[in-house]
Amino acid sequence: MKWKIWQTNNIRFAFLFAFLFSGCMKDKITKTYTITTPIFEVLSKFRESIKSQPATDISITGKISVIGKYIYLSEPYKGVHIIDNSNPASPRNVSFINIPGNEDMAITGNTLYADAYGDLVTLDISNPLNVVAKNFAPNVFPDHAVYYYTAGYVPGTTFNPDSVNVIVGYSSRDTTVDYDPGNGYPVYYANCPNCSLAPSPAALTANASQNKTATNGSTARFSIINQFLYTVGYSNLTTFDISNSFTPAFTSTVQVDWHVETIYPMKNKLFVGTNNGVYMYDVQSVPAKPALVGQFTHIRACDPVIADDNYAYVTLNDSSACLGVLDQLQIVNIKDISNSFWVKSYQFTHPVGLSKDGDNLFICDGRAGLKIYDASDINNLKLLKEFSDATDYDVIAENGIAIVVAASGLYEYDYSQLGNIHLISKL
Amino acid sequence: MFKMKCPIFICIILCTAAELSAQQKTLPDRWQFHSVNNVGLLEGQTGSSFQLQTINGAQYRSWFAGIGLGLDFYRYRTIPLFLDIRQEFGRSTKKLIVYADIGINFCWLTDNEKTTYLANDKFNKGLYADFGLGYKIGLGKTNNLLLTIGYSLKKLKETYETPEYYYPPNYPPDKEQINYHLNRLSIKIGWEF
Repeated sequence: MKWKIWQTNNIRFAFLFAFLFSGCMKDKITKTYTITTPIFEVLSKFRESIKSQPATDISITGKISVIGKYIYLSEPYKGVHIIDNSNPASPRNVSFINIPGNEDMAITGNTLYADAYGDLVTLDISNPLNVVAKNFAPNVFPDHAVYYYTAGYVPGTTFNPDSVNVIVGYSSRDTTVDYDPGNGYPVYYANCPNCSLAPSPAALTANASQNKTATNGSTARFSIINQFLYTVGYSNLTTFDISNSFTPAFTSTVQVDWHVETIYPMKNKLFVGTNNGVYMYDVQSVPAKPALVGQFTHIRACDPVIADDNYAYVTLNDSSACLGVLDQLQIVNIKDISNSFWVKSYQFTHPVGLSKDGDNLFICDGRAGLKIYDASDINNLKLLKEFSDATDYDVIAENGIAIVVAASGLYEYDYSQLGNIHLISKL
Repeated sequence: MFKMKCPIFICIILCTAAELSAQQKTLPDRWQFHSVNNVGLLEGQTGSSFQLQTINGAQYRSWFAGIGLGLDFYRYRTIPLFLDIRQEFGRSTKKLIVYADIGINFCWLTDNEKTTYLANDKFNKGLYADFGLGYKIGLGKTNNLLLTIGYSLKKLKETYETPEYYYPPNYPPDKEQINYHLNRLSIKIGWEF
């Protein structure tokens, strides 16, 4: 009897159910985000912390500089690892220089120049195990000097370092709120991790000497030619006289273009890579104030550049921070630097840093790894070897050893015999 | 409102099952393969969306258990993979059925649903559940028409990073997470054989 009643009322029941509940089916959407609060330290204490520490594990790779038997590998915003590369088949991480806020560096003789947020810090590296900060030039990189703004510092004036607070870290906590994403999203641009990575090449056969200058890699933003240190900011090129190595003296700043990325020295020329092209400066006539002598424009992209006597090699990649759309190597004729012109382009996966040793061209192709070409004929690059074992950012190729900075560490390849290029170590 | 009514709905289903279980007569004591194939609508705050399911399993007496695979187009296209358990009541050509599904939603976003302007935007799999009741109408010896209505839940988690482009140096990467808890009315028509 009951069953028949149910049978009779089932359809009515179902419709009643639908009526009752269809309007109650609300989506519950929550958004969890992080509230980040800065941790401050007074500038005087902050500066005291810039010194050698015992070796630490390399967690994030940055820029490299090689001089003598040592590799200096930066860990972005934390400091610089010092690696004893006496035996490239077995490099040893021997020390760490704590430099909060550091992104770039350059080395000549026993002096290392590094940025520490907005300051230029000069360090004595004559004993790599006991590096000492010798000088601080305040607020010379205003793009990164967030704390000077809040302290009301006026450039060129003296100030009390105890009166300036520096952000040395952040504390974070999560919070969850109701959220209605609607039909659209806020527009964000992806990071361009490789845009801020970079460094330099150098000799592997001898210890650092007073007169030797480390060679910087294609993604570096610091460079040294003779007695001058050149650095690039977001839109400018700044020069320091380092005749007195521990006391760099500001000499000039010239405007370049927006979104300056890299600087590369070639004899008495500087090649400045920007999102929109390559700007070439002469530093022979007036080294203290580089003079623009040529430029080559390209479609917007992230673009490290290197050069030899005849050609500039520009890698363009499509990192979204640069709003790029191309992944190419472009070769530019610079025989007449004031009338440079495009010669040839090659397609790549995501090219970043590059290096050239003789006719051998080394290209870090992002996640596609390292590619080595015979570039004796720039119209017909011949692939000699490729290694796809890492996501590579930058490379220094000298004396038969290619030192590669990758997301997963530092790799070294022996290319002394082109028919037998092989990996010899990973750190 | 929903929080208040959902327990009522569960009670109705359980009471119905308990009351009617006393009514059923003995069914054959052997396992029989059955395939249930449904199409239907998912009705919720986002709107109406299409769904598709195939459930394959075995029936023993009035109980059926099977594994289901589907397509769920509500808000984001997903593939639910789930365990289905159902019981039928009555012996006539029209039977009442009560079912419960639980499993996992795997994301299979359409090109329009994928965002290209968020850094590392990822959708993670989440819970899938559907329970309700309906009719099973006999169409010949082995075929049945199914009409069901129920509550369906789809959970998804989206994570992405916000950029540090204009932030101070060393600013930690901001990762944000959106949790979707999507409540739907599930209306299905199916064919069982």
